[in-house]
Parts: sequence; structure tokens; C-alpha cells
Amino acid sequence: MGKVKEPKNLSPRIQWLRDYYFSGIEREWNNEFRPFTTGTPWDKNYNETSYYVVPENYTFFSTFSAGFIAGATKIDLPDGLWDKSIAERRAWFNKKAIVDCVPQEILPHDLLCGATFNIQASHCLTRKESEARDKILLGKRGLRKKTIEFHDTGYGNCGPTSGHLIPGYEFPLRYGFKQINEDLQKRYDAYSEEEKASAKGGELRAMLEASLMPKALAEKYGALCVKFAEKETDAARKAELLRMSENLKVVPWEPAEDFWQAVQSLWLIHMLVMTDENYPGPGLSFGRLDQYLYPYYKKSIDKGEDREFLKDILKCMWVHCNTAYDAMIRIGLNQGITAGYGQLLMLSGVGRDGEDLTNDLTYLILEVIDEMSPILEPKPNVRLHKNSPDKLLDKVCDMISDSQGAPFLLNFDERSMAGLLHEAKFAKLEHLINRDNVHDYGSVGCLENTMIGNDRSSTVDVNLNFLKALELTLGNGKNIVPYTDQLWGKPYKNKQQGPKTGDPVTFLSFEAFYEAFLEQTRYIIKKIVDLYNIGVETRAKYLPTPYLSCLIKGCASSGKDVTQGGAEIKFATIEGVTFATTIDSLLAVKYLVYDEKECDMATLLRALQANWDGEEYKVLQARAKNKAPKYGRDDGAADTLAQDFMKFWANEVTKYTTPIGQTYRGGMLSWNYWVGDGYILAASPDGRRRGQFLSNAICPSNGADTNGPTSNSNSVGIALGGKDGDGNYINVLPNGASHTITLSPSLVRDQAHKDKLKAFLRGYTQNGGTALQINVLDAETLKDAQKNPEDYRHLLVRVTGYNAYFTSIGRELQNEIIERESHARF
Amino acid sequence: MDVNVLDLQRMSTEDGPGLRTTVFFKGCNLKCAWCHNPESISYRPDPNWFKNKCIGCNICVAVCPQKGISKTSDGLHFSRERCTACRTCEKKCPNAAIELKGKRYETDALARELLKDKAYWGADGGVTLSGGEVMMQHKAAIEVARLLKEERVSVAVDTAGCYDFRILEEILPYTDLVLYDLKLFDPKDHKKYTGADNAVILENYKKLTDKKIRVWVRTPIIEGATDTPQNIESIARFLAEIGQPERWELCTFNNLCRDKYERLDLTWAYQETQKTSKQHAENLQEIARRYVANAAYTGAVQEVISNR
Repeated sequence: MGKVKEPKNLSPRIQWLRDYYFSGIEREWNNEFRPFTTGTPWDKNYNETSYYVVPENYTFFSTFSAGFIAGATKIDLPDGLWDKSIAERRAWFNKKAIVDCVPQEILPHDLLCGATFNIQASHCLTRKESEARDKILLGKRGLRKKTIEFHDTGYGNCGPTSGHLIPGYEFPLRYGFKQINEDLQKRYDAYSEEEKASAKGGELRAMLEASLMPKALAEKYGALCVKFAEKETDAARKAELLRMSENLKVVPWEPAEDFWQAVQSLWLIHMLVMTDENYPGPGLSFGRLDQYLYPYYKKSIDKGEDREFLKDILKCMWVHCNTAYDAMIRIGLNQGITAGYGQLLMLSGVGRDGEDLTNDLTYLILEVIDEMSPILEPKPNVRLHKNSPDKLLDKVCDMISDSQGAPFLLNFDERSMAGLLHEAKFAKLEHLINRDNVHDYGSVGCLENTMIGNDRSSTVDVNLNFLKALELTLGNGKNIVPYTDQLWGKPYKNKQQGPKTGDPVTFLSFEAFYEAFLEQTRYIIKKIVDLYNIGVETRAKYLPTPYLSCLIKGCASSGKDVTQGGAEIKFATIEGVTFATTIDSLLAVKYLVYDEKECDMATLLRALQANWDGEEYKVLQARAKNKAPKYGRDDGAADTLAQDFMKFWANEVTKYTTPIGQTYRGGMLSWNYWVGDGYILAASPDGRRRGQFLSNAICPSNGADTNGPTSNSNSVGIALGGKDGDGNYINVLPNGASHTITLSPSLVRDQAHKDKLKAFLRGYTQNGGTALQINVLDAETLKDAQKNPEDYRHLLVRVTGYNAYFTSIGRELQNEIIERESHARF
Repeated sequence: MDVNVLDLQRMSTEDGPGLRTTVFFKGCNLKCAWCHNPESISYRPDPNWFKNKCIGCNICVAVCPQKGISKTSDGLHFSRERCTACRTCEKKCPNAAIELKGKRYETDALARELLKDKAYWGADGGVTLSGGEVMMQHKAAIEVARLLKEERVSVAVDTAGCYDFRILEEILPYTDLVLYDLKLFDPKDHKKYTGADNAVILENYKKLTDKKIRVWVRTPIIEGATDTPQNIESIARFLAEIGQPERWELCTFNNLCRDKYERLDLTWAYQETQKTSKQHAENLQEIARRYVANAAYTGAVQEVISNR
């Protein structure tokens, strides 16, 4: 069997905490959702719109909705609460719940306070508000039904979920949360009476209330530390507990004075965002951790603190981050893969003048990652650029070599920054994103690039299957096969959906076909925008997050909640799914029908309707799969089409905005949708049958990259825009695009070979995409893991932008990954 | 000028230092019994039939203008006598189950294709011109090397050295590294296993060491042929006496290419030969290092099998 990565060099403290965490449901304490209600008969505390983007959840909405209310603890409300704005009600309720109604816990040996944070708090709506919201969501033409139908008929999925942004953590670490509170107070005091009475006034009062939450919770934990210390017989532990209580007298309210305080402050502030959003860790990301924690690290090291102890402090935070997964610990829905977690942190990267910003803390955090892995959270991304030092790349290559699914994702600065400058241009935000500050970007969730502390770009909310446009082209605006309701099995009516672009049989050239396809693409983009906008508008009205808004620049100054578009920078990201399948299908239509005339359009259409089944289609399907050109081989003609379509759709989406003023932008994340939607979408001209997987993010179709990783990477770079005549990077997807490759362990078997991997990464910086994940795995190990899951409980693999425990994912996805590894000749 | 190329291997990690793209020139003047690229020996494209990819549609049988393809009880049979390498079968096979290995490139088109991976080569990677015997097409090889040098690409030439030294001399100005094969020291054995005498090869190595150029020597570890301690020691003494290469690679054996022989309707003496064992590779390396410090075995070896 293959070697499974094991954690190493853990102190007894961390070993205990890690083992405790992995004992899962056996634990005495866990962080599962604690539900609370106002007690009104119409009350709700489960927000299904946060899960509209997760099709696996569609069947559970009614159950969860009823269940969380039935089990909820009632909180008595103060007089007059119902007269206040929804934001004020929520701010008060969340604070009350987390500070006074949730038990505080300190785990043995732990160095950080802040255990339980998962709650499902009442939406605090009046009957009238609740009914109005229900009317939008439920009912015959409600958003829920529309969302499900949209997905069932192969368009994709969308809905406004939580997180997926980097709060401005650096500010409260440096100035204390009190500074946020004071700034808010100043702004509020400067409001006219009229403004105070307006929505702005309500929002600011809500943010003021919320800004007191970290302090109130810190006081509780501080007192608990003292109580535990009094009972503690071990002198060393007693001292730790007293120090922890001292820390909490300072942070998060006051500026952090050393590393321990900074990490304590960061953790409390961070976990309360998850409390505020009632959703654990969905892409709620840390930003450039090695940069903004560095001054505190330096201070502590200069004071003579032990480096290994500082690592233990971080490792405690690592364990806390993972308790996000406790939310549904007893329900256990295919853990880790049904929900959008991913607390991402960035390491290293370029500075303003092209200099490299790797520091001692970067290496310390890399050690923490190496020693703790395999573990899911937080998710590290290492930023690389042309001036990345050899020492960093050596460490990166070492870790990739030893860790199966890479312990981190690599983000490439030049291509990423080109994308962010591009969005600044089309959204006219050059005063906020420009050559002076673009280097200070970060990724959220998996790999989605945003700015830090003032940017919400809804990066996982809108997922569109391009292949649907191709189907509508073939169907003259209708489905070419029947689609059924996935829940009840009832067939949907095949109405005219897209525009009538003409019977494809009449297209005399591929150009005519392609034009019709672009027209249908315009239609599916508009369709998803219309659907998503309803969700955004509903959230803006009914589900504010005033605490999170305290940490996002623009909210206080505009008096708008982050859910209402308060952030200075706001985009809604359409994540394109099925890219390679669609490009390969276009190439196949061109090859089969127009260039080689292997069949006419009517025959191709019949073949797809027959799902390629039948002797008469066998040869045609083989040609489609094996003879038609494919994206991902560094083949000029194929990649030119890929680039052309990429530019088209990435530009098309920018014509739309959401009701809260987000401009749409493009990206390619595609989570695991390419797996499930493969069972929904009709057979495609590239030879894929219905039931086979679609392509993943910006990756070539499985097995198509027959020329190896370098040609695959070149194709990805070209698809994103390549370079201009002066050698400047072009990237039409500001969000970035997920690219995964697999290398055989033999490629990194010794130092000489690790150097070759390093050369590859340096080349990728020049030619490749924005984000790369590398699996170093052979198919044999995975097959063995499938057979003997008990031996491989901790085997982590990269699925797309995220890691998952191989043995915990579905059989189909396992097979898909094995197939992917089997193609790894390199 | 055109060039007859068997294949390109991008992101090659075993043909010299760093990350490289290797061009395999088609055609060879040696016939080593263990050859790993039997399809590289002939200059002519030969039909290769991939049995596992064949869907049995018989289109190839119908389209061959020479009527050279027939269906037999154990699959398709290709008449190599009738084949004119017209590629009709290759083009018409829907499942890419037939390949005629060997493609002609214009030298400048080949250079352009190679340069696509320039970004990945870094400081010590580059292009390796290999074969077959690359120097059998020395004019084209020189032209390709020259075009690559214009783009400041590091060029390695992988050769068996069995030809007039002046040919090799001509390419050296455009070459950074020579990968030089020394397979067998005993002339009789050399003749027996490769079909050629080794006097000129050894002589050319001597001449090469007089030139100021990096040289890596490569010796395949072939059971019963090259893998005797005597052979390794003889080569080692020769190298120690004539001039130490920068590196001496003992390339371990595996039989992963046996399907290639089957596809060419050839029998292969090493069909069932196992991967070189780790112990054996280490022993030979130990002998080699007594004379040449930078000797090392390369390639996969058979580890001790664990119980799991």
C-alpha cells in the first residue's frame, strides 16, 4: 500500500487536542449547531437560501427548517425589540445567544479561548416580515422551486451563501475592537435626526451593538480561565490559564501586544463571524496571515519566547478551525463535501514593487501546516511569483512530495493580479484596486481572488453550466432530452426556453452554429442572473449580518450592511462550469459535421438523444472522443476557440448587476458540481454520455491532456487570455480559475526530481493560470484505499479547490479521482 | 529541411538535467537487443495497432488502398510488405487504435513546437535531441540545435556515437551537453547485442573528452548482457583512464515497452525480464563508483516487496 501522510512533531498538548478532535462524535464537547428562537409561532432559524447553492441539500430543507425550530431554546426578548430594525434585532439576539446562552468551554491543554460558535439564531422577523419572506421563497413560483427546477434542468445552481470574503482582521488586531466601536459611535453621532431614524441609523445601531460582542464574550472566557486556574493543580497549566485570562483582559477590545494575544484576538473575532452568519466557515478567510501577524511574532521572538510554543498557539487555532465541521456532526451528510467550508489563509507573495514578502513567520506557518496535516482546516494557499525565493520553493516542493493531496494550493500572483486589475477597469473601481495595492489581494474559499477587508464578491454563489447553452443551440432553444424533477421523478415540460436561434440542421457553417451558441449563452447568463438576484434581494431585506459588517470597509461609511452592498468592492461571481466539456463539444461539432463531414447535424442530434447508445452511433462516438481536437493539449486552434469563448462569456456577465450593486464577474471554481450535474445534463457532442462527469473548472476533460502537464498548463494560461504583445499577463477571470494536476510520486522521488518540480512551478508562473493544485498520488494507492478504507482514514486528496478525505467521499467521485490519477504519466 | 521524428516527450525528467523536452529522431544504425523504442529503429513509419482501443469496426480493412489489412482470428493483421505508409487507416480509425509512428516536421516548425515549453526549462533544463540515433539525421539535427541556440535554449544530444566523429563535431557548437551511451566494453559482446562494433564508439568518446563540453555517459543495465560486474568495471576503468564524465548513469531496466514489440509483430528476448532489483543496481553502482565518483543508477528499481 502507499504511504499515508501522518502528522509529526506534535507536542503532547497538540497531540491530545488533535486526537480529541478526531474522536468526533465520541467527544464530550462538540460545536454542533445550537438553535435559538424568539418563541413566536412563525419563527425560523434555519436559512435555506444559504444552501440553495448546495444541491445535495435540496431534499432536506423542510426537515431542517422544522427540526431546528423544534429543538430551539427560547430567548426572552427585551421590551421594544420588535420596534427596532431587523439588523438591530439580529445583533442583539446573536450577541445574547453566544454570550449568555451558549456554554463556554476551555478544552484541556488548549491555549486559545473560544470554543462553541455554531448557532442557528432566530431570524427575528415579525409575522408580517416572515410571511413576506415566505412568499418569496416558498409557494408555487417561489425561489426554492425555481432554484430546484433550474438545477434539475441542467442550468446549474445559485443562491446567496455566507462567508467567502476576507474581513479586515488586521485593523482590530492593531487598534483593538474598541476603535471599530468608537468609529461607529462617531459616525452615528454625526448623523442628523432624520438619518438616525432611517435605515442607515438602524444599521449603525446594530453594528454598534454587535461591536460589543467580542468584548462581552472575552470577559466570559476570561472569568472561566480564572475559575479553571483556581482548581488546577498542575502549576504550569495554572500559569497558562492565568495568562490566557490576562490576554482576554486586553484583546480583542484593546490592541494585541504579542503573538499569543494576536492569535487569541484573531480567533475570537473570526469565529464570531461564523456565529453572526449562522454558518460555519464557508470561505471565511484569513488573508495574508504571515504578513499581518508578523509584527506580533517578531515582538514575541525578540522577547525570547520559544518558537515551538508559538507554533503550538497556531496549532491550537488549527484545531479550533476544524470544529466548524461539528455543525451537523450528528447528521453527517457526506461530511466535508456537501457544504462550502474553507477558511483560507495566504502565505508569501509579492509586494508593491515586485519584491518577495516571504518572512520567518511564513516558514513557521509552513511547518505548522506540515506537522498538522492531514487536516482539513484552515486551507493554506501559497502565493508564488517570479521573484519567489528558492528556499520557499524548495519547502513547497518538499511538502507537495510528501503529502499526497497537496497540503496547500498555489496561487500565482502575476496572473491573479492581472485579473483584479481587469475587474477594476470594467467596474470603474481603479481608485480601490490599482497597481499600488493589487499585490495585497487574497483568496477566499478555495482559490477565489478578492481584495482584503473591503470586498465581498460572492464567489461561490452562482454556478453556470455552459453546456446547457450548447444543448439549447441544438434544440433551437429547447431541451433535447427530457428532464425530471430529481425529488419526485416528475418530468418537466419542454417549453421554449432560450431564444429560437434556428434549427441547427440549417446551419451551413460552424461559424453559424457558434453564433447561435453564443446567443444561447447570453440567454443562460441572463437566466442565472435573474434567479440569483431574487436571492440577493431577499437576503438584503431579511438577513443582515451587522457583526461581519463591522469588519468590512464601506459598511460603516455607507450605513449599509454587507448583505446590502455595504462593502467598498462588490462583485457577484459567475463560476463557469463544464468549460472543457463545452469547448470539446464545440470542437467536435466542427470536426464531425463541418470539417470532416463524418455525419450531418441531424444524425449527431439523434445520437445525443439516444445518449450515444446503439450500434449506429458507435463509430461516431469514438470519433468524437478520439479524433476531434481537444482543449488542453497546447493545440493552437483548439485553445484559440477556448480563449475566444472565455473572453465572450467573461465580458457578457459584466453587463449585469445585482440589486445591491454588485457587478457580475467571471471565475471558474466548480466545486464538485461537475460530478453531480453529469448525471443531469444530456449527452454531449464530445462523446460524453449522460451520467459521465463533466470537466472540472478550467481543467481539460479527463484524459484529454495527452501532452502532459506543461501543455495542459499552457492551454490554461492561453484560455485565460495569455499575454499581450508586450508580455503583460492577461486574465479575463478576475476570480481566478481552479486548475488541478496529478503527478506520479516517481516525479518527486529525490532531490534532483524535486528540483524539476520547482522548474515546472517557475514555468507555471509564466505560462499557467491563477491557481494550481497538485496531487502526488498513484492510482494503486487510491484503489487500495477504496478496498481498505479503514487503513486510509486520513488520506486527503485534492478534489478541486478543496481537500477531502478520500474515504469519506462518494464512490463516483472516488472513481473519478482514480481515473484522473491513472492518466498521470508524468 | 525536414526531419523524421518519432515522438516528442514534454516535461521529460529522465533525459538530462532539469526539466526538458525530448525529441526522438526516427531511425537508428544500431539494433540493440533490449531497445526500449523498437519503433525508432526503422526510418519508415510502421503501423501500430492498439488492440485494447480497437472497437472492431473494420473500417481500416475497408479503406486500405493496398488491401494490406486483414482480420484474423486473433485480431487485425497488417501486411508490412504492402504498407506504403499512406496513413489512410490511421486517419479513418475512429478510436485512434492505429498509429503510424513517425512524423515529418520542417526544422523551424519543430523548433517552434519545442519552444512552447521554454518557460519550464529554467536554468539547467532544455531540449534533448534523442532517438533512434539522432546523428543519422545530423543535418536536420544541427539545424534544430542551431535554431534552439538562437533562442538561448540549452541543448543536449543523446547519442550512441557509432559514426564518423566529424558528424558529432559539427553539432557541438550548438550543444551544451552530450549524453553518450557506452553499453558494452567487450567488442564481441557489443557486436552480438547491438549489431555493430564498438571501436569507433570508444574512439569517439576519447575525442569527445578532448572537446570542452559537458558529457554524461549512460549505460543500460541489461540482464545477462551489460549488467555483469566485468562489463561495468571495464567501462569504469576506461572512463577513469580516458576522462571522467561529469556524470555516469546506470539506467535500470523495466519491460514496460513489451507491448511495443507486440504491436510491431516482433518477439523480444526481454519480454519477461523483471525490473532491475535495488540490490543489483546498488552493487553495480558500488563497482562503478570505485572508478568514477559521479556514477549513479537512475530509473525505477524493484524494492523489497512488503507484506501489505
